[in-house]
Amino acid sequence: MHLSSILSLIPKGLNTYVNKVPEEYISRELFDTVQVYIITKPELQNKLITVTAMGKKLIGCPVCIEHKKYSRNALLFNLGLVCDARTKTCALEPIVKKLSGYLTTLELESGFISNEESKQKLLPIMSTLLEELNATGACTLPIDESNTINLKLIEQRRDPLIVQEYDVPVFTQCKDHFIKSQWDLTTQQILAYIDGFRHIQKISAEADVELNLVRIAVQNLLYYGVVTLVSIFQYSNVYCTTPTVQSLIDDRSIQEECLNYVTKKGQKRACLRDVFQLYCGLTPGTTVRDLCSRYSQQLQRVDERRLIQYGLMKALIRRLQKYPVKVTRDERSRPPRLYTGCHSYDEICCKTGMSYKELDERLENDPNIIVCWK
Amino acid sequence: MYIHSSSFDLQGERKSMYKQSENSFFKRGEKTSPISVILVTSGSRGNKLLFRYPFQRVADCTSSLTTKQRSPYALNTTGDVLEDPDGDSREQTPLTDQQLVAGFSDIILATILATKSDMCGKKFELKIDNVRFVGHPTLLQHPHTIQVSKTDPSPKREMPTMILFSVVFALRANADPSVISCMHNLSRRIAIALQHEERRCQYLTREAKLMLAVQDEVTNMTETDGSPQSPFRQILPKCKLARDLKEAYDSLCTTGVVRLHINNWLEVSFCLPHKIHRVGGNHVPPEALERSLKAIRPYHALLLLDSEKALLAQLPLDCSPALVRLIKTCSAVKNLQQLAQDADLNLLQIFQIAAHLVYWGKAIIVYPLCENNVYMLSPHANISLYSPLAEAFGQQFPGHDLPSMLAKFSLPLSLSEFRNPLDASVQEAQLIQMVVWMLQRRLLIQLHTYVCLLVPPSEEEPGLLRDEELPLVARVGGRSLSTPSALSFGSPTSSDDMTLTSPSMDNSSAELLPGGDSPLNRRMTETLLASLTEHERQVILNIPAAQSPEDLRMFARLLHYFRGHHHLEEIMYNENMRRSQLKTLFDKFRSVLVVTNHEDPVISLFQSPLE
Repeated sequence: MHLSSILSLIPKGLNTYVNKVPEEYISRELFDTVQVYIITKPELQNKLITVTAMGKKLIGCPVCIEHKKYSRNALLFNLGLVCDARTKTCALEPIVKKLSGYLTTLELESGFISNEESKQKLLPIMSTLLEELNATGACTLPIDESNTINLKLIEQRRDPLIVQEYDVPVFTQCKDHFIKSQWDLTTQQILAYIDGFRHIQKISAEADVELNLVRIAVQNLLYYGVVTLVSIFQYSNVYCTTPTVQSLIDDRSIQEECLNYVTKKGQKRACLRDVFQLYCGLTPGTTVRDLCSRYSQQLQRVDERRLIQYGLMKALIRRLQKYPVKVTRDERSRPPRLYTGCHSYDEICCKTGMSYKELDERLENDPNIIVCWK
Repeated sequence: MYIHSSSFDLQGERKSMYKQSENSFFKRGEKTSPISVILVTSGSRGNKLLFRYPFQRVADCTSSLTTKQRSPYALNTTGDVLEDPDGDSREQTPLTDQQLVAGFSDIILATILATKSDMCGKKFELKIDNVRFVGHPTLLQHPHTIQVSKTDPSPKREMPTMILFSVVFALRANADPSVISCMHNLSRRIAIALQHEERRCQYLTREAKLMLAVQDEVTNMTETDGSPQSPFRQILPKCKLARDLKEAYDSLCTTGVVRLHINNWLEVSFCLPHKIHRVGGNHVPPEALERSLKAIRPYHALLLLDSEKALLAQLPLDCSPALVRLIKTCSAVKNLQQLAQDADLNLLQIFQIAAHLVYWGKAIIVYPLCENNVYMLSPHANISLYSPLAEAFGQQFPGHDLPSMLAKFSLPLSLSEFRNPLDASVQEAQLIQMVVWMLQRRLLIQLHTYVCLLVPPSEEEPGLLRDEELPLVARVGGRSLSTPSALSFGSPTSSDDMTLTSPSMDNSSAELLPGGDSPLNRRMTETLLASLTEHERQVILNIPAAQSPEDLRMFARLLHYFRGHHHLEEIMYNENMRRSQLKTLFDKFRSVLVVTNHEDPVISLFQSPLE
């Protein structure tokens, strides 16, 4: 009448059981306890059910097919995956759902499950499924001459930040690592313009791609960890160190990476002391220009633009942005739109087309406006 | 100094900010709020759903009364969903949170949530599509009734026995694991209270009886009248337990602080750190909070976030007197060690109470306020002209506006500089109050000085630190400078190993005998410097300042702090030194030291969320 097959999928090592009462990995007690979640009442059918019990997690999707040809007029089945209770199973859910869909289709088309002969094929299919998913995270299951199931474990990532027009994308690894032809057309068009110094608005203008498309494409790259975002570089920028700067001293790999990244091309590798002194020389009130004049000796072998870039990427330093706030105004004048403390100079310059210098001049002469740095 | 309790209404501000965003929270599907609370039992009468909240309004139910098997309140959620042949898409139609759980009928919920008895006493977690149910099924025993029925000669009454019950919270499936843990914790606490009351006076059985009676009544009415009603609405005025569960749900969705009185007798209190510790729109994960609390030092101070009066008013009658004493003696200028002396408590107790207050969002850890503290605007501060903070500041300090004050901290400013009256109209005391106000609202961060030993490389050296050179601290004696290790959450207190006394008694490798350049002192210095490489030693000894044995000795003694992990104030505290002494030393040896300023990562958690 009903078939309940449970596979066990353990990260290291595998056991496969296909039968009505699985033993060993799935104990009798466990099965009895969770039975109500495996072969369920009608209301729960076609829903992805994950239940945790006795140190194990079972993920399944119960299916019911009603037809006169079956004994009791219905076939109920559930192909599930079992793993350790502590495993994160979000990535497995689409696979279970897909499998249940496939099996349903197979059953409706050719009676795959109810037929005694073809039922035997389930065991090797499930073994293959387990092996390949455990090994590579993807598997191809040929069912018969005309049907093949393809499955893949997709890693869940965090939602990316919103990309603003004044953000600057920079590749986290060497550009050539990525096979360009795999990306969509928009991304391919803008790839050449991502150099870690052009901001979104500039990329849009130079690559001749609409601004929002660029934003979405970069957000996509951000999601996959291909790029990270930093701020626009100018010699008038101000930065300061974060507690993470100490990782340059503590972590050997970061040291190596940093020194390789910031050394001027063609020069002997910069020494740690110089680079660390440069980062520590970035303080509130000090512009990059000031840094260059004060630490000219240390900068002999170091490219200051790449120094800043690396520092921002690894959060060794952070940018101090200027935020103008209009604190006093006449009753009659309009309320401030941009000078509210919510918009940085970067943003205002991008939106209005003014340069920093212009904006500075305008605001410095206005006694009603104060500037906060943070 | 002059900082004492001021009537800052932080709680009030917080509540009004919640009111504004409450509606958007519900619509967005706030990840840290539950969707529903459900009470189920299993017993001789089978599995029953006793109560659920929120319950649907009558207008919502679409399914007619013709389907008698299913509860009239079930919505068919799979009905109008497009069949995706690949089964790829996970969220076909974005349902609101209420609909997600409303789609489950009472009967099906009773079946899946009232588990078998072998799942009792453990965390119960079940995920169905986009809903996650979490609870703590609890077994009930009736030793009394069993005994009574044997000896009782009166005719056997049919008492339906309850075998187990479970208070279940429904959450969004993508809720943070720490939120799920917390909800489970609350479910367990309520279960413990209910179990206790059941054993004492059959409280749960009585409430259950009431609830079921109302449900039966309403079902009968529906069948005769044909007008659907929600039984749960009728249950609320009649059952205290139902009202308690509703209150728990409402509190979790808003403030995150739950205080219930089960049967008007047992108190169940709980707080959801995710709601309480929100900085800059993000929540602080409890694990990070706990880690930070374990790393606080006796030289830190406790800054209350509410006025003393308000805080004391919130405490229950039977609270610990130590807590009351601590709150009364606490001050932003006193460090924890001084607080221990003033409040006449031992340091371990102070740490535990402080951690408790911080966990509940009633206080934060800061460095005690003093002249030399340097503050800067926090990167997460809300400096908007129209923020509720700006308004509150204007009310608290009439004639001043928040953005102007904050602008002063754009560059790091020490308290002494800030106090120099920039305009004579402002009283000094009020300036300090402003700083405290801003600290309480996480607008300012404090900067500390950190020092790192980095010797100019020689010609042959590659300019990198060799592997043997890290970690220096471990090599030199490894003195324990950490907080008493007995400080952990939920564990019984242990009064032993509370040892953080004045560190000058604690010295092992750094005990120095007075008296100039004795051979013993020279040996001491040599030993300390032995941990460096030959090259480093040479460079240091070649510094002009190193010719003075006193200076060299001091330098060698402090060597293990020069790895960038100990700030100036910590060195001052541990080594009983003055700021000027240290600064002079740094200056003398500046050719091998690199100095930088940034916030203390240990307590910066209280000022900025984790990335």
